[in-house]
Order: sequence, then structure tokens, then C-alpha cells
Amino acid sequence: MRLVALDQKATRTGLFVEQSLSDARALCPGLQVREIDRAYLEAVFADFADWHSYVSPIVSVHEDAAPFGDLIIDIAGVSHLFGDENQMLQAVSDRLRHLGFTVNGAIAGSVGAAWALSHFSPGRVVLENIEMELADLPVAALRISEEQVTGLMHMGLKRIGQLYDRDRKALQARFGASLILRLDQALGHVEERIRPRLPIAERYTERRLADPIGMIDDVLMIAHDLAIRLGLQLEAEGLGARSFHLFLYRVDHKVMTLSVKASRATRDVGHISRLFANRAERLTGEYDAGFGIDMIRLAASEVNDLTPTQIGAFGTWDGTQDLDQLYDRMASRFGLLSVTRSKPVNSYIPEQAIQLEPVIARTTDDPFARPGFRHLRPLKLLPNPEPIRVMAMVPDGPPITMTWRQVTYRFIKASGPERIGEEWGRSDFVLSKRIPRPVNLPKADEEDSDYLVIRNAISSRDYYIAEDDSGRRFWLFRDGLYEQTKNPGWYLHGFFS
Amino acid sequence: MRNAARLQRLTDLREQIAAIEKRPLLADGVALLGKGDDEQSDWQALLKAPAGLLQEIYADDLRDSTASFGFALGLARQLITEARPAVLFLQLTHEAQETGLPYALGLRHFGFDPERLIMGRMANPAELCWAIEEAIACRAVAGVVAEVLGTPKVLDFTASRRLSLRAASGGASVFMLRYGLEREATAARLRWRIAPTPSRPPPFDDQAPGDPRWQVTLEKGRLGKRTAETDVSMIWGWSENEFELEQHRPEPTRRAFYGAPVFGTSSSALGYGLSKAG
Repeated sequence: MRLVALDQKATRTGLFVEQSLSDARALCPGLQVREIDRAYLEAVFADFADWHSYVSPIVSVHEDAAPFGDLIIDIAGVSHLFGDENQMLQAVSDRLRHLGFTVNGAIAGSVGAAWALSHFSPGRVVLENIEMELADLPVAALRISEEQVTGLMHMGLKRIGQLYDRDRKALQARFGASLILRLDQALGHVEERIRPRLPIAERYTERRLADPIGMIDDVLMIAHDLAIRLGLQLEAEGLGARSFHLFLYRVDHKVMTLSVKASRATRDVGHISRLFANRAERLTGEYDAGFGIDMIRLAASEVNDLTPTQIGAFGTWDGTQDLDQLYDRMASRFGLLSVTRSKPVNSYIPEQAIQLEPVIARTTDDPFARPGFRHLRPLKLLPNPEPIRVMAMVPDGPPITMTWRQVTYRFIKASGPERIGEEWGRSDFVLSKRIPRPVNLPKADEEDSDYLVIRNAISSRDYYIAEDDSGRRFWLFRDGLYEQTKNPGWYLHGFFS
Repeated sequence: MRNAARLQRLTDLREQIAAIEKRPLLADGVALLGKGDDEQSDWQALLKAPAGLLQEIYADDLRDSTASFGFALGLARQLITEARPAVLFLQLTHEAQETGLPYALGLRHFGFDPERLIMGRMANPAELCWAIEEAIACRAVAGVVAEVLGTPKVLDFTASRRLSLRAASGGASVFMLRYGLEREATAARLRWRIAPTPSRPPPFDDQAPGDPRWQVTLEKGRLGKRTAETDVSMIWGWSENEFELEQHRPEPTRRAFYGAPVFGTSSSALGYGLSKAG
């Protein structure tokens, strides 16, 4: 085990990162050590990063070097809000230092240069002459691997500046293309994209609060105010949006996000704030304002054109808008998946022929998906077929009695079977595989081959419609054929009446 | 002088209250029921019951759930208009495995366009109530079919009264699917009891089941001159996507125990439970 991080006191005793734990213990007998919980740190740092979206909407965790620890903020077009770049760097790092964090920061024209500066020459703002500024930094500042650094050291290339005049082809041949790429990225010759953590919203309104608030009702009230402002903004541009996000910035560096979706573009203030009220009701348990919320932002995404329509005397009203709003409200309160429609799928297997799809995320139907229309299908289907005990006169004949949920039913009428098998005609169907028979598996008499057939799709089912003496009609099936299995199981799958 | 004025005022108020109480709140519902002259059209009129009613549909047991569901769909289907194109089916999430989910391909056979049926699943009865209220407040919803297993506390008389008034003012009907032999006090305008009945065989095959038939009993509510007491039971068939009165049956095979407003074990219910167990 090795040391990963040290506090200031431990550093003063002469310990260093990468030292082995036993050495450290020997040097410093009273050392307190904790095992690092990387997953937890990662999650905490992600929250920490989100919280920084109060500075700029584009915030990202730089994961190339380590899964946590490097925070990148795109400050294009924001720095003037703080005065200038120097003041911005000062303000952001001071805020964190006040909270007890150790911060190194830098501002530069490229992600690579900013990373190099913040790690090896922190606290600087470099907007021009990057080549000169980086020239004196060690090659490790280029975000390259350990081996690459040692290799460069062996060649006597210790500073970035020494690489500028070298033959690029030779460097690439010796150290790989990644070195060249990193160098170009640092110097700004190659653009580097960063992946924003939060959805980028072009249209948003926000409110900063002098005193932090905690009650969800207050939050919703402010959300309503913000919705009015956002609604006006969207109306002026003739737009509507399909998703809305409410970001709650907590004093203790966390951001809570509430998102709602609408089935059609809207800018109706009442509708938006009702969706958030419903959504908030669903999260009462997990809502935790911590020490309070000091900034709230309402953002709209999936923005579409929404031209004003006339309502009233000459308007045509078909009710679909009311329905969509109803589904939005229900989905915001119960969750997206709890309000569904039946979407036909091109399949003969009963439970796959219909897919339950959220109403407000409707997709177009498959035009070929109308199979089985000529066959009788039950009115209700059990989500999972339930195993039953069945007696039949002859093995392949219709069932005579059934025991389901400890009650025995006697059938007086039955029709069937309707055989539903593998869908070998479908393009995504995987053909049965023949694999060599394992030695420990006994060979049945009628099977002559030394191969075993593995089927990936469902086995054949024989469906029967059976009616009992008081008129209940069931849809049951036998899973498998008598030739293939000794004792195929029976299942109840649906009800007709 | 002052005393007399106060008395006068008091009597005025009393009269106002009396007037409010006397006025049938759901006037439209009552007027439309049973306009026909003969028995057949009386029943037909009931099945074309006006919108905006709270109706309870009871089945004896969970295993009969599809019969009552089918009957409710048949009633709801007649309420669908161009302005009210949707029917909602609401149930609790964990109860779907008990009674099953509506199956679109089967609905099509039943004569119900599956595009018009939206399914909602809630976590608890309180949310279910909220969803019903929210749905009937929407002016594009024709009907709400809600399935309730057991007797949850939130669905008491007050809740049913509330739903009934909401339905009357909103104009969408509510069909509550309930199970068991107990009957609670309810503000529902109509209460049905549905049981499946052996179907007639289709013409080509004696051994095969035919179109579904149900034994339908109107337990509560008025039907023109007829009330629940005089007409006990009848058999309805489903053919050519329409309800059809097939047989009038004065005596039910097994009469449900109803009329007890308080939930509790009654002798007949106990006897039924024993017979089921044994």
C-alpha cells in the first residue's frame, strides 16, 4: 500500500506521496491512515463540480489524469461578470479557500495549458504567448504517461520548451502519437472538447438569494416566479420548450436537479409550475436542503418553435392539448413510466407484441406491427405468466382441469392449440447454436449426435383458450413440446372474461 | 323588532338550505335514465348511461376481474366522442400481476381501439384517488376505469361523494372496479355486479368458447320505473361490438351480500369463503 494524499502536518514530517505505507509508519509512528474511497470521492467531486455551474454553465470534470480532482470551467463570455480574468480566478479560488479547500487554479487559452499551469505554476492567467509560458514547465505538465515522462527524461528532454524544435515524426515514432497530440492541445493547435456535466441550456433564468432558503414551498414559489420570466423570454422569441430543469444550488456545494418533461412544447407558466409542484411532491423524502439554497436556476431545453394560436371563438379545439397536459401532470407526479400507452411491435410472441411506452415520450409506430390480428387474443395479460397444474386427456389435447392459485377449475370448452414458436424470420434473431456435447451430460437414446443444440429464443408454446363451468375464460399455454421435453410446464397467460 | 328580523333571516336561510338539499345535484343523470317504454329499451338506455356518473362495478372475486373490466370498457366505449377521445385505466403498480394488464391486441378484438386507452399505474390508493380526480377534471377524457383491490381507507364514503360530484361537474364518468361480496356505503349513482356466464358456442364448433357473456345485476341505482329491487339479474352478451340483452333472469344463482354499510364479516360472506376453501 502506498500513500495517495497527505495533509499539511504530514507533509512537514517529511512524508511524501507514493511512499509505501510501512516506510511512512516507521518514520512517523503516530500516523493516522485511512483507506481511500475512490468511488465516494468521485461522487463528491462530481457534486462539487456541478455546484460550480454558478460560475459558468459549462463545467466538466477532467478525467484523463484522475477520476476526480481536476475541474475545468469554460469561462468564455463570463469573466467580465467578475471584472476580468485575474479577479475571477481570485474570486473563485478565494471562495474555496475560505471553505478550507486547498486550491490551485489557472486560466489559459486551452485546456492543456490551463492544466499545466494549475499543476506546476498555479495562480496565473495566461492568455497569449502560451509557447513561451509553457517552455519552462517540466514535460510532466503535458498530461502524458509515466513511461513517456521517464523516456523523455532519458533523452535529456526535461522541459516542454525543448520539444518545440524537435522533429515531430521522430518524437511520434519514439513516444507515440499521444505525446504530439498533448503538445498540440496544450499549445492550442488542436482543439480539445470538454464534456459538460449539466445539460446546456441556452435559455434560463436564475435568482440569487441573500439569505439561503430551505423550505420546498419557498423553492416552488421562486420556481413560479422564474417560470414567469422564462415564459416571457420564450414568448418574445416565439418558442416553447419540452423539458425544464430546476437547479437548486446549496450553500454546501451541492446541486439538486429537478427535471420535468412535457409531451409538447410549452411556455405556459401555470403548467410548468404545476409540473414542478407535482415533481416536488414525489421527492419529499429525498429532498434535503442542507444548510440552505442560495441560488435557483430554471432552464429550458429541447426548445422548439411555438407559434401563438388563437383560442376562443374561431379556434379549433380537439382536446389533444388538454390530454397532453394531463399526461404531463400525471407523469411529473408518478414518474415517466407510470403513464403508458400500448405500442405495437412487429412480433408474434404475445408479451413482446405490445410494448408499454411512456405517453409523453411517444415514438412513431412500426407500420408492420400488426401481427396476430386474425387470432383471438385475451383482454388482459398477466405481466408474468403464472405456473399452473393442468390435466389433459391426451398429451397434445386441450386441458381439462387447471389448478391456479390453489383453486381448481374444470374446463368444459376449449379451443386450440395455437402454436407460437421462435421468430427465426426476424433479423435480430440469433440462430440456434450447436455446441459439442459436454462429456458429463448423458446422451439420450433417441439423440444420435454428439452435439447439443442451444436455443436462444423462446421454445415453442401451444396456446389454448379454455372456458370453465361458470364462464371464465383463460388463455394458457404449454411451454415446450412433448417430443423435446419429458414434462413440459403449463402457464396461465391471460384472461378473456 | 330586531328579534323579528333575525327570525325572518333565519327562516330564509333555512329555506335556502332546504332548496339546495332538495335540488337533485346530478339532474342530468337522472333525467336521461330509462326514457324508453318497454323493458328492453329501459336496459339499453341504461347501458348508454349519460356521462358524468360514478359507477361501481363489483365482481365476486379477483379471478372475475376481466369480466368487470370488459363490462366497464363496454360502457366507457359509448362515452367516447370526438371531443373526448381518451379512456384511462388506472391501477396500483403492485396489483398488475394480480389481475393482469390490458392487452392491446385483445382490446382490438373486443372492439376497443387500444390507442384510446392510456394505462396509469400508481404506488398507493391516495395517489390513485389523485389521479382519478385529475383525470376527470380534464375535458378531453371520456371515462376513467380504476381498479381497486380490497377496501383502502382513503376510498371511503366521503371520497366517493367527492368523486361523484367531480364527475358530475367535469362530465367524465368513473368506473370503479371492486371485488368481494362486501358492499361499503358509497355515493356511486349505479352499482353493478358482474359475473361471467358460459358462452354460447360459435356456430362452427360445439367445443369452442364463443363471444363473452356476463350476468349483470344492477344493485343500486334507478332505471326509469325499475329499481334495483325489482330487476335482479340478466345476461348480457357481446356481439358485433355491441351489448345485447340475451336473457332476463329473475333469480340469481348466488346472490351477493350487500346493503351493509359497515365492513365486517357477514355470515353469507363467511359461507362463501368456506365453500371456496373447501
